[in-house]
Amino acid sequence: MTSATAFWYASRATGIVALLLLTAVLVLGMLVNRQGRLPGLPRFAVGDLHRNLSLLSVAFIAVHVLTAVLDTYVSIPLVSAIVPFGSGYERLWLGLGAISFDLMLAMIITSLVRGRLNRILWRAIHLLAYLTWPVAFVHSIGAAKDLQQGWLLGLTIGCALVTGAATAWRLAGAARQVPRAARVAHVFARHDATTRNQDPRQTRQTVSR
Amino acid sequence: MTAAMYESGPAAPGAARLPRLLPASPEGLHAHLGRYGPLPYRGEAGLLIDDVAAAGLTGRGGAAFPVARKLDAIARARGRRKVIVANGAESEPASRKDELLLRLAPNLVLDGLQLAAEAAGATEAHLYLHGTRPEILRALSERAARQLDRTSVSITEAPPRFLAGQETALVSRIGGGPALPTFQPPRVTERGLGGVPTLVQNVETLAHLALIARYGPRWFRSAGTAAEPGSMIATVYRPGAKPYVVETELGAPLAEILGAGPEVQAWLVGGYHGSWLRLPEAAGLNLSNESLRPAGAAVGAGVLVALPASRCGLAETARVVRYLAAESAGQCGPCLNGLPRIATALAELAGPRPRRQARDDVERWAGLVTGRGACHHPDGTARFVRSALTVFAPELARHANGHCSATRAGPREPFLPLPASLPTREEDWI
Repeated sequence: MTSATAFWYASRATGIVALLLLTAVLVLGMLVNRQGRLPGLPRFAVGDLHRNLSLLSVAFIAVHVLTAVLDTYVSIPLVSAIVPFGSGYERLWLGLGAISFDLMLAMIITSLVRGRLNRILWRAIHLLAYLTWPVAFVHSIGAAKDLQQGWLLGLTIGCALVTGAATAWRLAGAARQVPRAARVAHVFARHDATTRNQDPRQTRQTVSR
Repeated sequence: MTAAMYESGPAAPGAARLPRLLPASPEGLHAHLGRYGPLPYRGEAGLLIDDVAAAGLTGRGGAAFPVARKLDAIARARGRRKVIVANGAESEPASRKDELLLRLAPNLVLDGLQLAAEAAGATEAHLYLHGTRPEILRALSERAARQLDRTSVSITEAPPRFLAGQETALVSRIGGGPALPTFQPPRVTERGLGGVPTLVQNVETLAHLALIARYGPRWFRSAGTAAEPGSMIATVYRPGAKPYVVETELGAPLAEILGAGPEVQAWLVGGYHGSWLRLPEAAGLNLSNESLRPAGAAVGAGVLVALPASRCGLAETARVVRYLAAESAGQCGPCLNGLPRIATALAELAGPRPRRQARDDVERWAGLVTGRGACHHPDGTARFVRSALTVFAPELARHANGHCSATRAGPREPFLPLPASLPTREEDWI
């Protein structure tokens, strides 16, 4: 690596890290949705991790884009990071990158102002995650020839497998969802089974007026 | 609801000018108009709002939001269609004030509904009630015969759920859906029933408004405090007495309403989303948010409880929290998962020799659920639970040693009332 190729390598490296981060963010998002947990972490930590990693991935993508633009070996205009298909170099693959970046920005901005937003609108925009990841993935393998061989190919396949498995788990979970009306009783049954609850006065739930 | 009706209680503090709202027996339209005179329609939207603002009337459903601000928001909202709802679905199991008001003075509530509808420019009016009371139906037909009502009124029945009276749940139910809270925004004042601006007011609030329209803001302010004028109807639970409903001035000393003698160990103010207050420290507090706020409490919908010294405050709290957890709509994760967890740990604290960490667990989980729901159910429950941990700290210490205040006098029926049925099916919210 020379100073002439530093930007190029930096762009490659941050792109790969961003792909890993986006995979993690997507899987964590599904975990939040299914109210799943991570070993050793309280339930709410999953949501916090999902949010923080998504912000971190935007930082990596920003560096990824800037270094690609600054690299002088090929000419990529800065606007092509936002405007799809605005680059003469690798028009298709970079265009897909711009699309996924735009979708990510939409999700992050709506999430930052979620308290002021219509819930249905926020959710609809957030569902774009299931489009964003595949677009970013295709951008990665299309634009970066080095992902198509060696251990980086293994990493790429790994990301795809993890995402596929998580999506299958998410869909299966949605299919066997406890009906809303029965959820609280379901949770109570779980807790009553795992905690000692000897005082008979406490197990009586209701008393007529 | 099948429960026996509570009756009006003894004369309240400052009773010379009270009661304003509660006659001694159910009043028909003829007697009602004889006492208060005809409906003072203003003839134009908006005109009454200044009087309501000058009176300083706040919502009596629990949130104490300024009524004039809501009226004004609806009056200014764009659109031809606007809706007003009189909320009589008093879903707090310990509260009976709306039920008694609707029985004794249905015409005062309906007057308020008509006058508020005119002020806000509402084109349709709704009554949201637990079961249809014969007094209401009679009043509506008598008023129809005399063509008193300018805005047509329809009735929707509320399911007996704790959250059924919550504003967004009410809008969903009247719209034909289940009585479940939804996320805000949009606020119901902007996009409520059928997507049009919707004004929801508690029935007692509307009764006060009907009197302000007749007698003016100065009359209204002749009771209560400068910051919180007027009277309110409270449901009162005292040791050795049947629960009763009483109209009292805001700012009245709580000690006069509830008693602070040795037979009382603590007060509960504001119902099951309210706060326990320790005695004798709280003995000097008044029935006003100004007085209660520093103690971490609020007037709420006027449920006032004096817990007898012979009861276990932890056992009472644990029972109620289990009920509150079971009444979670099950829509938001922190509420769905957190409240049963808190309830289970509280049950342990209410029993003999709980694990040491149970108290810290409850405290921590109460913090984690706060502010994380579509409605305030987790927040209100957490407030109630935390106040119990503070006020009943001596009882916690007793339980740690295997003792309890309640067992000394033998087993008893619980003091705080709870409904007989809990939701299990989707239809229970309809």
